[in-house]
Amino acid sequence: MSFVKNARLLAARGARLAQNRSYSDEMKLTFAAANKTFYDAAVVRQIDVPSFSGSFGILAKHVPTLAVLKPGVVQVVENDGKTLKFFVSSGSVTVNEDSSVQVLAEEAHNIEDIDANEARQLLAKYQSQLSSAGDEKAKAQAAIAVEVAEALVKAAE
Amino acid sequence: MKAWRDVGITYIQYSNIAARVVREALRIELRADAAKRNISIVKFTPWVNGKPVPRKKVERDSES
Repeated sequence: MSFVKNARLLAARGARLAQNRSYSDEMKLTFAAANKTFYDAAVVRQIDVPSFSGSFGILAKHVPTLAVLKPGVVQVVENDGKTLKFFVSSGSVTVNEDSSVQVLAEEAHNIEDIDANEARQLLAKYQSQLSSAGDEKAKAQAAIAVEVAEALVKAAE
Repeated sequence: MKAWRDVGITYIQYSNIAARVVREALRIELRADAAKRNISIVKFTPWVNGKPVPRKKVERDSES
């Protein structure tokens, strides 16, 4: 009896929540970095972001989320189907209840602006720095640089 | 967790390194301009008795 009552209460609450949540069919993207603003509350179809908790795609009505960016490619599918790729160093991504999304990066560039040869050279440079690093901190810093360089090489291919 | 966490590197510091490496990998014509962002400038204005005393300028590498 009490189970049925509880279930009814929960169902009523769920329905109310669904009404109150102003999920929008449109997704507004704000994508900015210290160097440039790429999108300012622009309506887009889909966004794929690399994060420490895994890469994921965002569509309108995505559940509210906070995540930390890892070095990699952010892919934006605009409403006309055009797909653009950007490389982000790091930063954060916020998905709000109203389907607005903020991608804030420390450094972000169009993928065409990455020099593939330079990325490969940087990878080699930081790999040797990693193997010759003396203390643990220097080693960790070199390892971060290697991780970023690897992501750059992969993205620029 | 991440190895850098164990040696006391924060995400902000991680982010600084990552951003620097990205700037280094840009096309040559963009690199010089981007390198300017490797340095952050912080201006301090101490106030004593309701008056600002001459400004000090502190420059640091974004990694430190």
